[in-house]
Amino acid sequence: MILLARLDDAKAARQQKPLISFNGATLRLGGKTIIENLDLTVRPGEFLCIVGASGCGKTTALRLAAGLYRPTGGAVTFDGQAMLEPRREVAIVFQDYGKALLPWRTAAGNISLALEASRIPARERPGRIAELLRKVGLPAHAEKYPAEMSGGMQQRLQIARCLAQEPTTLLMDEPFGALDAMTRQGLQDEVLSLTAATNTTVIFVTHDLDEAIYLGDRVVGLLPHPGRIGIELDVNLSRPRDQLATREHPEFLRLRRQLFDFIKATEH
Amino acid sequence: MSATAMIWRMASFAVAAGFVGLWQLIANLKLVSPVFLPGPDRAWTALVRGFASGDLASKLVGTLEHMAYGWLAASIAGIALGALIGSSRLMRTYIAPSLEFLRPLPVSAIIPVAIALFGLTEGMALFVIAFGAIWPIMLATIHGFAAVEPRLYEVARALQMSRPAVVFKIALPSALPDILAGMRLSLTVALILSVVCEVLAGLDGLGHWVLLSARAFRSADLFAGVILLGAMGYVTSVAMSLAERRLLAWQSMR
Repeated sequence: MILLARLDDAKAARQQKPLISFNGATLRLGGKTIIENLDLTVRPGEFLCIVGASGCGKTTALRLAAGLYRPTGGAVTFDGQAMLEPRREVAIVFQDYGKALLPWRTAAGNISLALEASRIPARERPGRIAELLRKVGLPAHAEKYPAEMSGGMQQRLQIARCLAQEPTTLLMDEPFGALDAMTRQGLQDEVLSLTAATNTTVIFVTHDLDEAIYLGDRVVGLLPHPGRIGIELDVNLSRPRDQLATREHPEFLRLRRQLFDFIKATEH
Repeated sequence: MSATAMIWRMASFAVAAGFVGLWQLIANLKLVSPVFLPGPDRAWTALVRGFASGDLASKLVGTLEHMAYGWLAASIAGIALGALIGSSRLMRTYIAPSLEFLRPLPVSAIIPVAIALFGLTEGMALFVIAFGAIWPIMLATIHGFAAVEPRLYEVARALQMSRPAVVFKIALPSALPDILAGMRLSLTVALILSVVCEVLAGLDGLGHWVLLSARAFRSADLFAGVILLGAMGYVTSVAMSLAERRLLAWQSMR
């Protein structure tokens, strides 16, 4: 019964106006077609995960959604408007946190960068910075430089800087790919609770299938050369998710098997 | 300061003292005629006498001014031009070959040109010093701006930062270690060219003092001037490293 109700919810949600949509989006770079004829919509508040073998264009799809690339064919729209340049309500969390942070600014200074860009008056910044650092679990590290922080802490800091933009949409490019398993699980749960609290729309690119199912409302698998959609799965697992119970749920295992078979088939 | 650092510091002083002792010994034994080589004692006396009469102090200020103005002009122009060239791939492609032609040009070769243009004036000195000192700064700035992590520009785009904000908050701080290294190299160039200009154009400064002393066979005064020039080079370089350490405190965290 509960499952059926959730399916109805999902159906109703699908009829909602999409926030981000790829309409036949194609990207050619240097004579190579990276993404071809991609049709994909993301609903407001949805957590969409994109998986695929390496080189399938999942990062490229994310960069199209971010406005860092312009499609050479078709269109990518955000809230009905063509996404030709990055927008402040769309924040990007890069995989290489070490390169995305300013090494000459402290943790507080790095968050301040986003507040300065949003023209937040100087006297309001310290309060906002303290609040954001608390949110991502770094309240005691305001005066540390990125080089003094662990990988997990640096990625937390980058997330805090993105949240400082007060985004409605968070685009995450394999954000936990370089972190160890324990740190990764902790951050997964933190991202889920942070985005649920503000009903943030998320596109999350990962090569970790378990992570995709654990986090997502929906998982899209891309086929490589050129990148296009190969599989689309709705994840009907109750929220809040739990690192043990969710991962042991039969539905989780079924999806995992399905996704695993898909990826294996694409690698030939 | 740690114990080992202390010992090394003392050892370096001992070496310096050894050289002064050797110099004194050579002078005392008259291995070189005292007309040409005064001992450190006589040089020191000349130094004290020069300062007491106020002559040497005004020469020192003169050289400091030449060096400082030339170096500052070179820094401002070098950083501005370097930033402009370094931040654009197109500019780098077009301008780099011309720079490679101008850079190895010995600055002494342009002194006659500068004299023809400006005469034996302070303006000529400023031009020559700035022209010589601009290269290390400009080339370091070009390199620093070209080497900014591309990811940071994407962060700036995602945050929709304005063009000036990108330059002052991302490119400039990122290039700062390179720029400061260039400025440190130029400091030496500026000092050398200050002396050369003073000698050639008879401008007020230690270079002129040294030249006149040599012509009058006042070797003690000559050495006093040389010692002062050495001290100037040393002090400015130490000041520069202190400034670098302060500005680049974040780098020591790595």
